Amino acid sequence: MTDPIKFRCEGVNVWYGDTHAIKDNDIDIHDKSVTAFIGPSGCGKSTFLRCLNRMNDTIDICRITGSLTLDGQDIYARGIDPVQLRARVGMVFQKPNPFPKSIYDNIAYGPRIHGLARNRADLDAIVEDSLRSAGLWDEVKDRLDAPGTGLSGGQQQRLCIARAIATKPEVLLMDEPCSALDPIATETVEELISGLGERYCVVIVTHSMQQANRISQRTAFFHLGNLVEYDTTDRIFSTPQDERTVGYVSGRFG
Amino acid sequence: MTDIIRTPAAPDASFHASDEAAARLRKRRAAETRLRVYGILAISLAALALVALMWNIVSRTINATTEHYIAMEATIAEDEDDFLGVVKDAAKAAFPYASGRRERRDIYGLFSDGAADDMRREQTEGTLVAGEGIERRFLMSDTADLYMRGTFGALEGQATAGPLTLTEEGGGYRLDAADGAFSEALGRAKAGLAREAADWRAQARRQAAGIETLTARLPDLTGAERESTLAQIARFEAERDRLNGLADGLDALVTAGRDVQIDLTNRMASFFVAARGGILKLTKVSADTALAVPLVPVEGAGTAPDGAWSLRILDRPEIGRPVKDRQVAILETLKAEGRIEEVANWRFFSLSDSTQPEIAGIKGALVGSALTMLVTFCLAFPIGVMAAIYLEEFAPKNRLTDFIEVNINNLAAVPSIVFGLLGLAVFLNFFGTPRSSPLAGGLVLALMTLPTIIIAARAAIRAVPPSIRWAAMGIGASRTQTVFHHVLPLAMPGILTGTIIGMAQALGETAPLLMIGMVAFITAVPEGITDSATVLPVQIFNWANASERAFDMRTAAAIAVLLLFLVLMNALAIFLRKRFERRW
Ligand SMILES: Nc1ncnc2c1ncn2[C@@H]1O[C@H](COP(=O)(O)OP(=O)(O)O)[C@@H](O)[C@H]1O
Ligand SMILES: [Mg+2]
Repeated sequence: MTDPIKFRCEGVNVWYGDTHAIKDNDIDIHDKSVTAFIGPSGCGKSTFLRCLNRMNDTIDICRITGSLTLDGQDIYARGIDPVQLRARVGMVFQKPNPFPKSIYDNIAYGPRIHGLARNRADLDAIVEDSLRSAGLWDEVKDRLDAPGTGLSGGQQQRLCIARAIATKPEVLLMDEPCSALDPIATETVEELISGLGERYCVVIVTHSMQQANRISQRTAFFHLGNLVEYDTTDRIFSTPQDERTVGYVSGRFG
Repeated sequence: MTDIIRTPAAPDASFHASDEAAARLRKRRAAETRLRVYGILAISLAALALVALMWNIVSRTINATTEHYIAMEATIAEDEDDFLGVVKDAAKAAFPYASGRRERRDIYGLFSDGAADDMRREQTEGTLVAGEGIERRFLMSDTADLYMRGTFGALEGQATAGPLTLTEEGGGYRLDAADGAFSEALGRAKAGLAREAADWRAQARRQAAGIETLTARLPDLTGAERESTLAQIARFEAERDRLNGLADGLDALVTAGRDVQIDLTNRMASFFVAARGGILKLTKVSADTALAVPLVPVEGAGTAPDGAWSLRILDRPEIGRPVKDRQVAILETLKAEGRIEEVANWRFFSLSDSTQPEIAGIKGALVGSALTMLVTFCLAFPIGVMAAIYLEEFAPKNRLTDFIEVNINNLAAVPSIVFGLLGLAVFLNFFGTPRSSPLAGGLVLALMTLPTIIIAARAAIRAVPPSIRWAAMGIGASRTQTVFHHVLPLAMPGILTGTIIGMAQALGETAPLLMIGMVAFITAVPEGITDSATVLPVQIFNWANASERAFDMRTAAAIAVLLLFLVLMNALAIFLRKRFERRW
């Protein structure tokens, strides 16, 4: 567990109007590994995740304090363009949300607006790479012009992951990426995420403790806006320190 | 954090099988059936109204799809410049017997100025056939055309038996027939007299009422006033007696036997006798004999054998129709000779407004409407969509934007004539936009349409699922990119629908355009957005107000064109919408 630190968060507070959603949390997220956020509904997992790519900026009533650095650089500093940041920190959402366009255009959109491809061949290569990384290439290579919305739920979610990968991000944020999928699709996506963890810094919010157990190296347990416990996944599930963690991982509440 | 789950008490097993349950079920089903019946009724009613409207318009439009021509021989010089003269000369040659000024005028009245216009146009196009004794057709006047369509009633043939003898008498002929051949005519003449007598008596009663009022006033009056009132009463009495006398005289004729001779006036039905190659109009009639004047010359005195003559009646009195008896006789003769042609009326689409209905067309208004709609669309669509995008995606939520939002919603409810006033004050008077131009009209209609488009576009943008926005922003698309690449294309079908509703309203709008002078009588087709023009609804409004009967069917035709325009616009919108929808 000597992965370098990607995100260093110190004293992070988030308010939605008067609601104090994240209460003074510190957490270091490591590169080239999967970090899972677990905790009961409404404890602020998604909120914290959205702090990492400044998606909270799009919510008018949201206020954030504290320091969040990515590779030592404050992502809330004045010079940082949140739009550019989001190309470096990709995001995958709970419900698969492919664009109502072709599979090809879904993947190609990001590289196009960020100017990652100089010509069509480059773009084709990026699309193929991304789809291969998402384990979708063999399933869709013959119908890249078909609408992305016509795929099955699991395929759609992998398409969204491929779309996020296509912009060459350093971090992938995933907010309950499997909660809208059936068990078999979940298994495929989980395998994919485990694989991605070897190359990217992956942060995943999940409801399922088995999932966290299966795919993550580190797990953070949130409760009522507090980061209660953060350690390697093994330790969180075998020897949790806080009694709230004990209660949650043993399934007594949640 | 454990929830106590309370299991509901198991219901009585028979609960859903009880009589009460069955009654509830029946009641619910009855209510649903009732609702369905109301729905069907409402739809049927709407469909019926639509069918009635369509039927009305189509049945009246059909008349405007053709026009009538009279074929004659004409002499046209290569470099002819007096085409009205050509028509008149041709008519003079074709109807040589019409020698008096009155007769001539009746004949010329059968032709439209369009007949000369046609030749002038052919001359400039180089297709005019010149020479002597050229057979060509001349456009009929509006009233003659209406007669041909039976607008003033049709000639009713009367059964006649036995021979008819024509004897010259006075300026015309005496007609002798047997067995009360004219008794039907006599009967109708008498009915006409009876109506006239009733009119006189009604007038007499008004005099009597006046007398009564004055008499009642008498006891209160003295001196000079009394004197003048008495004199007035005397005058009224004299008038009353005169009117009653007239009525009595007519009534005496009505009740007289079959040999009474009745003078026919232009307030009675017209009676035509076709015999010996001509047409005569009866001027005096009894059961067996009549006096008549020839309208189309006959071969002189003599006898027409049984079956070789006919009596025809046109029930509408001459005074009540713009087509005179002589014109009727000539048109009937031309028809019998096969010299009247009915052809498709393309003129309606190639000409603009005119004071003469038969050469009035829709082209000017159609082009005017198209140009106005173009201006409206080019202004209202981009501005409306941009405003909607700004308000929905970028504007901060504060007092000012709230205020703007409320005002936009209110603007949609402002009566359209107010926009016309605004246009008059701002565009015409302040900015000096040309009066009655499609530019001015388009500006005004764009103002009127903007709120509709903004409201529809905002609704459509709001309806785009937020997950699409997140998806785009999640991979680093900026707000603007998100809106223009993803939100707008998804909202486009809804925006187009709203736009079409707004444009359809604008297309049918009359009131605001009246304010900026688009009601003017304009005979030229506008060539640009700054030319004077009129638009379809205003053209319809103008024609519906015109006194000439022949504008009736053109009004209906113009309505049909307007509806067609609307259908085409809608079809275009549906097509575009389908294109946008097919992208996903
Ligand atoms: N957009 C929002 N506006 C207002 N409150 C929000 C918003 N999103 C989340 N919250 C509040 O913040 C708290 C944390 O929510 P969230 O991060 O979604 O929890 P989790 O993802 O762990 O279920 C909740 O109390 C929720 O009501
Ligand atoms: Mg959540």
